[in-house]
Amino acid sequence: MESHAIGAEPGRNQRLLLYGVAAAVLVLAPHLMPAGYWLRIYTMTGLYVMLALGLNVVAGFAGLMDLGYAAFFGIGGYLFAILSSAQFDIHLPFPFALPLAAFATMAVGFALGSTSVRLKSDHLAIVTLAFAQVFRLLLVNLDRPINITGGVDGIYNLDPIRLLGFKLVSPVSYAYLIWICAALVIVGCFRLKRSRYGRGWEAIREDELAAEVVGVNTAVMKLKAFSAGAFIAGATGALFASFQGSVSPNNFDFPQLVTVYCMVILGGLGNVAGVVAGAILLSILPEFLREYGAFRMMSYGLILVVLMALRPQGIMGSLGFLFRAEKRPDNDEAGPLRTSTELCYRKKESGSGKRGETRGPGNQVVLEVNEVTQNFGGIVAVDHLSFHVREREILSIIGPNGAGKTTLFNLIAGIYPPPFGTIFYDGKRISGLKPHRIVRAGIARTFQSLKLFNAMTVLDNIKVALFCRTKADPLSIMLHLPLFKREENETQQKAEEALTLIGTGLTGCRFALEAASLAHADRRRIEIARALATGARLLLLDEPSAGMNPQEAEEITQFIRQLRDAYGYTIVVIEHKLDVVKSISDRVIVLDCGRKIAEGSYDEVAEDPRVVEVYLGRKRH
Amino acid sequence: MDVYLEQLPQQLVNGLTLGGLYALIAVGYAMVYGVLTMLNFAHGEIYMIGGFAGWWTLNLLTRNNEPLINTAVLIVFMIVIAMMVTACLGTVVERLAYRPLRKSPRINLLLSALGVSMFLQNAVPASQGAKPRFFFSSVLIPESIRLFHVGSMVISFMRIVVVATAFLLMALLVVMIKKTRMGKAMRATAQDREAADLMGIDTDRIIVFVFLIGSALGGAAGTLAGLLFTQVDYYFGLQAGLKGFTAAVLGGIGNVFGAMLGGIILGLLESLAVNFFPATYKDVAAFVVLILVVIFRPWGLMGKRVPEKV
Repeated sequence: MESHAIGAEPGRNQRLLLYGVAAAVLVLAPHLMPAGYWLRIYTMTGLYVMLALGLNVVAGFAGLMDLGYAAFFGIGGYLFAILSSAQFDIHLPFPFALPLAAFATMAVGFALGSTSVRLKSDHLAIVTLAFAQVFRLLLVNLDRPINITGGVDGIYNLDPIRLLGFKLVSPVSYAYLIWICAALVIVGCFRLKRSRYGRGWEAIREDELAAEVVGVNTAVMKLKAFSAGAFIAGATGALFASFQGSVSPNNFDFPQLVTVYCMVILGGLGNVAGVVAGAILLSILPEFLREYGAFRMMSYGLILVVLMALRPQGIMGSLGFLFRAEKRPDNDEAGPLRTSTELCYRKKESGSGKRGETRGPGNQVVLEVNEVTQNFGGIVAVDHLSFHVREREILSIIGPNGAGKTTLFNLIAGIYPPPFGTIFYDGKRISGLKPHRIVRAGIARTFQSLKLFNAMTVLDNIKVALFCRTKADPLSIMLHLPLFKREENETQQKAEEALTLIGTGLTGCRFALEAASLAHADRRRIEIARALATGARLLLLDEPSAGMNPQEAEEITQFIRQLRDAYGYTIVVIEHKLDVVKSISDRVIVLDCGRKIAEGSYDEVAEDPRVVEVYLGRKRH
Repeated sequence: MDVYLEQLPQQLVNGLTLGGLYALIAVGYAMVYGVLTMLNFAHGEIYMIGGFAGWWTLNLLTRNNEPLINTAVLIVFMIVIAMMVTACLGTVVERLAYRPLRKSPRINLLLSALGVSMFLQNAVPASQGAKPRFFFSSVLIPESIRLFHVGSMVISFMRIVVVATAFLLMALLVVMIKKTRMGKAMRATAQDREAADLMGIDTDRIIVFVFLIGSALGGAAGTLAGLLFTQVDYYFGLQAGLKGFTAAVLGGIGNVFGAMLGGIILGLLESLAVNFFPATYKDVAAFVVLILVVIFRPWGLMGKRVPEKV
């Protein structure tokens, strides 16, 4: 989010200039440094930049609390040391040992992650913390009976790097090697952040459930973040081991973890440029405190506490206003900020719906719910419920509070896998699938209690919904391959389309607003736009007019009708406002205590004595 | 096997002592988790500072290895002063580092706790020097009653003091939680902070109180550990904190009674495992158990599984 601030889309020339300056610094810096001490710090700074960026992928992008990160750094270092030293006489050449160490570390990260990323954040913290402890204890103790880790002393006398027959031993050549790697990691992180991966992770960090429900495969994405972090940590560990010429348990202990967290927090979780700045700052500044180890760690602790209390977004966070002329959202050509019912038909040609279809409901059944049941510890929320929805139908579900309406949506959307009963969509069984699969299949929902990704921009909120329709892999993202570029353009276009659809008030400069800054009604509209952008054909709208004033409710009602009439969506809506229900529904289902007590047109249902009883109470005789 | 059977009673006594200490620490984690759903990583350091506070008291009240007052009173003094110091420290930490983050994401709270832990852990060597402090139990306990022989067992008097104090403190805690008005308010806050607020409970005060009690118990554990192991140093909070934390998770984190039980189970397991494991691997085993419990039974051995409602 924040890093967009620094020239969200710099022009081509600007970017070339930036790359040029960076390259010049990389080439010149090692020669300008006074040899010895400062050159060493310069090189260590490069290592810390990588290390911090790796942690930033896990904790910053995806919001996972990884307290075992220093252990991954250590695994990479120790593997490299074992592979290229006299410890087991393996002496693998550097170009093989480095990737081997990095990938092996990633494999360990994957293994640990696959058991624990599904856990709640605290539990993940516990598992990773315990893992780091086990790792440290093993390092210290695995020198007997067979000497694997070298115990407290570690492993030393690592092989010098040999590349193409040259021995790479001078401090300057190490500075080059490590900073080139760091530059690659920096560019990779920037590119990842501005891709479907970056948006998916940010969505998970903001609201995991909402991310899953708009089509992000949260389990896999979290595991990918965890493994990517382990990969970077492992590679950095290997480079560090080679640079230092030795490894020992102290290099990878708890204070090291706190140091790296400090760098990431100082820069701002998820803010790539900030994290780089934080790593550089905290690599150089404490050198002046070097003599006082305890004071240095004390100051790191203090930095964490103070930053969390006063500036959790980091030093670089929201500095964006310095670089970007801020647009006043309430004072521009788009007029007052509200949805208009005159839908934007101009962009229709490329639209997500086919216009000119028959207006009313068709005959084909698209959603079939059979005998679905859900109970919460003895309370039956949904009780053997069966119904179907036909294509292009607007079906309203009404009923008193606690009737099981929202639970029913959760069952259809896969948030609770139904313990009993089946659900079919388009002839395919969807009950038991994860929510993101159900979105891919074509059902999207909104929440009664809004679940937007609050810290993300309006446009990015919508773009997350296109995650499940795109498939660029990390490689094509980091190399900006054609697949990535094509998908990014499509994503941009479709997201803008979806936003235009919900009215002209949310277009243009408002795309860049933070979702949290919008008014309630607009947030509801964005949730609907997000559901539309998933490419779903069946929408589950949970009280779309809740919290809206009568005029806004009227507008949203019109809008829902338009979605069906003009774009052919099938819509199931939970609604409490009976006038809204009356005006839009083709059919109404009344729920009470998880059971269907009436079904039919609004007028039929309204006459039904059981419905009257549920709403008004039993008539006295 | 015979050797093992012979040692069993001794190991049980050792395990119970260790377990009592772990339980005292674990309770602090569990109480804080109960009201704030937060892992208070700094609790291990509170325990460490409790150990130092006990040593300062001991140091103040002895001259040339001779106690200035009755040794029984001295031991009580050490524990009480350690509890007072850590209780103050705990509330200060809560006020400065955690309260400003009441509405922040959980990860921020965790990181702040990590920062507090790092700060406290290094504040001690920075201000006091890094050398360990010794508790000369020879000063405190007359030769005649220092060791008891029960059958083949050898039980030191100090061990009895530690076990008795640990269990007494826990009994007091149970009474406080079950019987007093404050305990009821605490339980309400742990179940639903918002609802407790609406019912007129000043939950901020309850949270302060929880930190006060939890830290005091941690501090007592620190001094007891000092008495038992005859020394404290600035990094002994990290390991003990992790153990207490493991115990709290074993018992179902957030559950005070579970934490007590978890602590005792962990202590017993560690003592009994000495016969099967090389001593260096008993910590590895403890953390592996922790990982397995969190992965397969995240609600703990005692905790109840609560279906998550969206």
